Amino acid sequence: MLEYVIRRLIYMLITIFAVASILFVVFRLLPGEATLQVISPAMDDAVQDRMKAAFGLDKPLWQQYFIYLKNLVSLEWGRSFVSAQRVIDILQYRFWNTLLLMASGMCMTLVLGIGFGIIMAWKRNSSIDIGGTIAGLVFQAAPPFVTGLLLLMILSYRLGLFPTGGMYPAGQRPDGVLALLMMPAFWERIVLPTITVGLYYITTPMLIMRDNMLEVLGSDYIELAKAKGLKPSVVMFKHAARNALLGVVTLASIMVGFAIGGQVVVESLFSWPGMGQLMVESAASHDYPVAQGTFLMLAILVIGLNFLTDVWYCYLDPRIKISSTGLA
Amino acid sequence: MKRREFIKRSGIVIGASAASFLPNVGFAGKRVESMKLLTANASFDPVRPEMGRLITNACKGIGWDIELAAEDYNLGIQKVFKEFDFDMFIVRWTGRANRVDPETFTRMMFHEKGNYNKWGYNNATVNALTDAQQVEMDVQKRRRLIQDTQRILFEDAAASPIVHPSMTNAYREDRLSGLVPQLGEGIGSLWTDLNVSVNSGDGYVRTGQTSPLKNLNPVAVHDSNEFKELRMIYDRLIQVGPDGSIVPWAATSINAVDSTTVDITLRNGMKFHDGKPVTVEDVKFTFDYCLKWKAPFFVSSLEKFESVSITGSNTMRIKLVKPHAPLMINFFAQIFILPKHIWQDIPEKVDVDDVLNFANENPIGSGPFRFDYWDRGKELKVSANKDHFHAPKCAGIIRIAYGSHDAMAAAIEAGECDRTRYILKPSLVQDLNKINGIVGKGYASHGWYGFMFNHLRGPFKDRAFRTALDMVVPRDVIREVVMSGYATNGGSTIAPANEFWHNSSIKSRQHNIKKAREILQQAGYSWDGSDKLLYPS
Repeated sequence: MLEYVIRRLIYMLITIFAVASILFVVFRLLPGEATLQVISPAMDDAVQDRMKAAFGLDKPLWQQYFIYLKNLVSLEWGRSFVSAQRVIDILQYRFWNTLLLMASGMCMTLVLGIGFGIIMAWKRNSSIDIGGTIAGLVFQAAPPFVTGLLLLMILSYRLGLFPTGGMYPAGQRPDGVLALLMMPAFWERIVLPTITVGLYYITTPMLIMRDNMLEVLGSDYIELAKAKGLKPSVVMFKHAARNALLGVVTLASIMVGFAIGGQVVVESLFSWPGMGQLMVESAASHDYPVAQGTFLMLAILVIGLNFLTDVWYCYLDPRIKISSTGLA
Repeated sequence: MKRREFIKRSGIVIGASAASFLPNVGFAGKRVESMKLLTANASFDPVRPEMGRLITNACKGIGWDIELAAEDYNLGIQKVFKEFDFDMFIVRWTGRANRVDPETFTRMMFHEKGNYNKWGYNNATVNALTDAQQVEMDVQKRRRLIQDTQRILFEDAAASPIVHPSMTNAYREDRLSGLVPQLGEGIGSLWTDLNVSVNSGDGYVRTGQTSPLKNLNPVAVHDSNEFKELRMIYDRLIQVGPDGSIVPWAATSINAVDSTTVDITLRNGMKFHDGKPVTVEDVKFTFDYCLKWKAPFFVSSLEKFESVSITGSNTMRIKLVKPHAPLMINFFAQIFILPKHIWQDIPEKVDVDDVLNFANENPIGSGPFRFDYWDRGKELKVSANKDHFHAPKCAGIIRIAYGSHDAMAAAIEAGECDRTRYILKPSLVQDLNKINGIVGKGYASHGWYGFMFNHLRGPFKDRAFRTALDMVVPRDVIREVVMSGYATNGGSTIAPANEFWHNSSIKSRQHNIKKAREILQQAGYSWDGSDKLLYPS
């Protein structure tokens, strides 16, 4: 087991190194010079050279690459070309904002998705099953900006039940995450983006749970449990659902990774200052340090979650054996 | 040299240079080649591709096919300003406060050596006139030079100003009173920040903008959005007033002793937000520091200084290398007074190697508002500095970043936002204006949307062709349909709203395809069997 974990860790580091290198190249392949966004092209060439020197862009590309790698290892991810703030500070702040939004969205997705999946499997071919499947596919097909806009238009603009966006009322910045979580105004503001995220992601865990449940429900031990005269709810949740959960656990880790980086639209729509918005802003403004940092952080997150899932999977299902090359 | 004599002599120069600048040599009788009209894409500015489509369509009327290329803004900038690889492009020259001075829209854009002039425009008269205005310290004489420049630029069709857009803003009339719009900035101006009163709630003005604040470093500042927030925290020597005139501020007077000597008298009793007094030492330090660190926005002006000396407890003298008229608005009304006791240790004591990489997380200035906090990506909060010589009437300003124009408009409607700082989409302004308690309006601006030509390519070398093209632009449709009526037709490069500098004798060319064809025909152009435009034989 330990050997397997170490080997996986080494693979993980190699993958992160590869991703970091690709990111370095990709952002420099973008059309347009970085300084054009940062400073008016009407300024003298000498001023533009001055800006390049300040950002280290005057050095040859290979030198920039090695400085970048050195900084990565020492966790000094540089400063934003645009705001001069430390990339780590910017990422940390935005990451928590996104994490709060995603945590609530994913909770809704997993709790409701798994719950509906169980019920749909239990009531197979009923109107609940068919209706749930159709509704799920519609929500998955509808882009978040449509769902979000509809929610905003109806529940916020027309009925005035929820604020239009942001994380807290203007001018009332809380001191820290805990204070933010204690604010009723924060919970008012997180409802609509949570529903938007939740509706978009709910289909996958719901349908996977349904399929897994159907497979499990055909097993002998379920028949035996029923024959023992156990209550249907006990059979459904205690015996069937627990065994059907394994596939959803794997899926959840991948979903969380993608959800953190994939909420550009939801964050823009609800004026939520998170990672998604930061990705777009930094890539569009050629803010290399921030853009690289944002994408790299996301990659590390996804790779890290995959690693944890593999280890967790191995722990959860003892039937899985470890061969010299990995799982077998 | 007398003005008339000067223009006459310049005319001789242009006549001589024109002989070596015969247009269309080598193209005689050939079809005018199809060209590309470059604009930013709709996600950057929804207006520009629409204008481009209308112009592209209208050009068919003179038998000329052009292709619209709506591209990423950064890529467009690269093509125009770095690679000079473009035929035509549409650009918005925003009405920033410093552009009230005519330098940008004349010399910088049309002088042979102007920093913006990447389109190869070269007219000896314009070069001479714009050189002369730059060193003319008598404002009336300078005005006449600028008016002559505008006339020549118009007659020469150096560029085609499409429309002069208004600054479209909205605010909650039921919460705010005493708003003071400024030329080019509308109600997002400093004068509104200072004079607005809030009728209910905590007294803070919730101010919306669709782009997040990027930087609070007054030395690295270069973006107009940053200037708008930093000017609340830091004082300047003078300010540009609501009508574009100069208003004394931290300096009670800036006198030109002669054309190269400027005396500054600093206001007494000013204090930084940490209680330390503002002195001429701080002002001198600011100049020296920004020069030493080559502050991007200020360094070119500072390089025109020969010396800066303190002449009294609150007076100083600046000697210039040569006269430079734009200095007042482009420099003295822009640079922020830095507290020497803080900045003298930067960057050495703040763990950065260059002041441009200093984030200035807790800015301390002497301005009318004190910094409270900046929640990156979301909001900036500043509170009124009641000890300031022009203390604000409101409790403070909260600048909120919204994800989109629609989100900002919805927040205004819901009462979560009190006013817009910058442009709000014209169609939303119209919608908001229909709601009780909200005013949506277009305010005077000196900016313009420009249809710019590459003078070094194909038919653009020919004045007749450019003039005909200017006549092809469907300005009325663009103004009413694309701009929802929040604009006036473009004519001169200096907008009518900039009353002092504008040459009111210049009238916009009317959209007239028939007349455009006549002009082309008179210049020797013809059309083939499929009505495609041919170069003069």
